[in-house]
Amino acid sequence: MTRLSVGYVPLTDAAVLIAAAERGFAAAEGLDLVPVRETSWANIRDKLVFGHFDAAHMLAPLAVATTLGLGHVALPLAAPFWLNLGGNAVTVSRPLAAQLAAKGGLSGRLPDAAAALGAVARERAAAGQGALTFAAVFPFSTHAYQLRTLFVAAGLDPERDVRLVVVPPPFMVDALRRGLVDGFCVGSPWNSVAVDQGVGTILLLGNAIVRRAPEKVLAVPAERAGAPEAAALIRALAAAAAWCSAPENREDLAAVLGEPRHLDLPAAVILRTLDGALVVDADGTVRTDPEFLLLGANRPEPAQADWLFDAMAAAGHLPEGSRDAVRAVFRTDLYDAALGRPAGP
Amino acid sequence: MQDGVVSVAVVDADRARATIVEEGLRAAGIPRVAIVPDSPDLLDRLVTLAPDVVVIALDSPNRDVLEQMFRVSRIVERPVAMFVDRSDAATMQAAIDAGVSAYVVDGLKPERVRAIVDMAVMRFNAYSRMRRELEEAKTALADRKTIDKAKGLLMARKGLSEQDAYALLRRTAMNEKKRMVEIAQAIITAAELF
Repeated sequence: MTRLSVGYVPLTDAAVLIAAAERGFAAAEGLDLVPVRETSWANIRDKLVFGHFDAAHMLAPLAVATTLGLGHVALPLAAPFWLNLGGNAVTVSRPLAAQLAAKGGLSGRLPDAAAALGAVARERAAAGQGALTFAAVFPFSTHAYQLRTLFVAAGLDPERDVRLVVVPPPFMVDALRRGLVDGFCVGSPWNSVAVDQGVGTILLLGNAIVRRAPEKVLAVPAERAGAPEAAALIRALAAAAAWCSAPENREDLAAVLGEPRHLDLPAAVILRTLDGALVVDADGTVRTDPEFLLLGANRPEPAQADWLFDAMAAAGHLPEGSRDAVRAVFRTDLYDAALGRPAGP
Repeated sequence: MQDGVVSVAVVDADRARATIVEEGLRAAGIPRVAIVPDSPDLLDRLVTLAPDVVVIALDSPNRDVLEQMFRVSRIVERPVAMFVDRSDAATMQAAIDAGVSAYVVDGLKPERVRAIVDMAVMRFNAYSRMRRELEEAKTALADRKTIDKAKGLLMARKGLSEQDAYALLRRTAMNEKKRMVEIAQAIITAAELF
């Protein structure tokens, strides 16, 4: 058995990785897969860069940032497997939700939410009140780019008209309760936790902003990405992803994810995300989206890399001429080779 | 950095460890050291404090907040970057191994920063060692209590002297290739059953 230590942040979208370790898919490939829980994305990056981890559950834009050495020592990473697409949502404080509701902003559709948000932000500016503050989970994150998309749709300048800060997922709900932020974009289960605690209202499910948004990848140091154990890991994850995607396994999956050593949360809250049926407000309103969190769309496609490039470039996060470098992170070839598929675009 | 004196903020939910780091930095001639609680309003606190160097424990989720500080100069007036000395990967490696990281205001001399990071790493390692030794001492004490109890049972039930009871425990442990405390625990469990 080859031992592989793989870092993850306790979120629902670590499901495929955790299932691979806990339900025998890794062992079937001859791997002793050890998921190691981490408290920050910075730790995930550093421990991958300095060799504490063999691979990691990682924000796709962070895999790009680490490869390009944005704000850190560069280590070229390979992302041969999507652990998930989607799964994020935008939640706003109850007071902001009430203001948006008065302007028809709670329909769950982007144009309505954006129009209402733009109107509220302009009213605040006219009244001399401070800019609205929204939180994402990391500077280089799909969450930050989804928020920017919402701001632009609202006619707001993401650099000037709103304040975009970083708050770690476990602190999100508290920050909303204490009024430190007016809203946030975060992955499951934290939107549901905010609703359950009567602190927030889910404004938009991720697909309402960007359909099938690139989210977490399996990140492997590029120089070891072609090794046999990396291919075995891809196969184990693919089998785990198929298992995770079957509705009959959802309850078992929610239970294992909820265990104290993983997410340490009630399985019922996690199950809502897996079912794609989210309670969006304390009044019990449920919004459904069967594709809310996709765990089984794992093959890296060039279009996803291009979407990330555009989003990161629009945020001013990328140096000139880095499109090819961004594309090179997403290794469709390794995915295809590991699963014995013919090479192709 | 007023009047050339470097100020350091230590972010750590473990108050005892933060104090040990603080003492170390003061002893190294850095008078301005503040311990900042690991709370959701960290960014606002740091903006008020305006430290030159932030030392943060790797077990703090707030590390990701500091990652933002060097991207968003609008929020923090002085850009802050992670301590990345490309010529000295060993310092970074030692810091990650010790469970600590540092963020630094632009323009500070790398040698000064390295001295601070080295001190933080030393103190984090010393604290881990202390904790480990404390755990070992606790375990040793608990083990001795278990062995004493088993010895007492052997003396009472088999009429052995203390020395003979101890010798019997030790011989059995050696024969069974187990630790004495395991044999002692087995005796206690058996005695509770009968």
